[in-house]
Amino acid sequence: KKMASKIRVVLRPVKSIVVRFCPFESNVESTRKFLGCINHKKIQATNRNCEVTADVRHDGSEPLVDVMFADGERLIMKGANLTTVEMLTALGSRCSAKELKEEQKSKKKSL
Amino acid sequence: APAAKMAALNGGAPWRRGWLPALQFVRRGSKAVTRHWKAMHFQRQKLMAVTEYLAPRPAISPRCLAPRRERAEEDNGYARLLRRQVEEVFRDNRMIAVCQYNSMPGEDMVLMRHYLRKHNIEVKFVLNEIVRPMLSQSKYKNLLPLFVARNILLVSPETKVKEMLRVLKGVPQVNLLGACIDNTILSRQGVENFAKLPSLEATQGQTVGALALLPSQTSSLLQRGSAHLTALLDQHIRQLQAGEMGSPAEPTPAQSSGTH
Repeated sequence: KKMASKIRVVLRPVKSIVVRFCPFESNVESTRKFLGCINHKKIQATNRNCEVTADVRHDGSEPLVDVMFADGERLIMKGANLTTVEMLTALGSRCSAKELKEEQKSKKKSL
Repeated sequence: APAAKMAALNGGAPWRRGWLPALQFVRRGSKAVTRHWKAMHFQRQKLMAVTEYLAPRPAISPRCLAPRRERAEEDNGYARLLRRQVEEVFRDNRMIAVCQYNSMPGEDMVLMRHYLRKHNIEVKFVLNEIVRPMLSQSKYKNLLPLFVARNILLVSPETKVKEMLRVLKGVPQVNLLGACIDNTILSRQGVENFAKLPSLEATQGQTVGALALLPSQTSSLLQRGSAHLTALLDQHIRQLQAGEMGSPAEPTPAQSSGTH
């Protein structure tokens, strides 16, 4: 059983994160917790330039997490049926994969 | 040799294969009460093993019976105190705003509290387990789905929504979810619209003006006929006077004497 606050995500390859939800719906709990975890000190410290915006609406739309990466890639997570841990691990795995790619690229360039 | 091994085993050391006893323990000369862990005599070991405590088994295994519900009847004084505080908050204040709280650095928190205090808005941290049962019993049932994850309440006896929105805009980590102003539940859009409304006196003046418009229209409608007639008569008189001014002044005294 993983605690959502223990998962460490390196946000360096991320440019911006937009979290959209409608608080009067009942399926927003995991998305709200995700937003809370992302705003933790340690995760924010990995990338100060990453802007985290919360979009609060009242139109009954489902909760959405929109992540823009620095290389133009976009990750959209629909949080209606996802748990916080799943979303965090998905984001974390993609971020670490990108980090590895960048390291390899920089190594090749330096070589 | 095996007896010595067994004796040493039960003394707590892990079983080490291929361990040859270089010494014979009994002849070593340690007394009965030692500071180190001394292995028991083999007969004593056997006695202890035989006389171990066995718990009595219940007639029906607990897995077969239905699970007993552990009722959370704690209701300790602290929870009661918090509940009383929350009830007070809901009763005393006209404006209650619910915001999502993502962890903020301490100085920003203090600054935000300071700015809100200037407008007589208090910041209260609430626990969901206490607030939820309270809300479900009171009339604020629609605020229930808001209280998930970490929240704070901004309460105030006045409704200074514009200033509150301005302060919250400067703080990115606190997101306004909804508010209950004067017993009206508003979403974020509603709160923004409420902030754009003109003040109470202006709206009252507007309403009075709108209400007074209709009777004034009615009165003007009713008077239109007689007003038209008076206007026509005035014009006629002016025409006659203009015609008379051209001719000499004699007919006018005659007319005036005639009319008398």
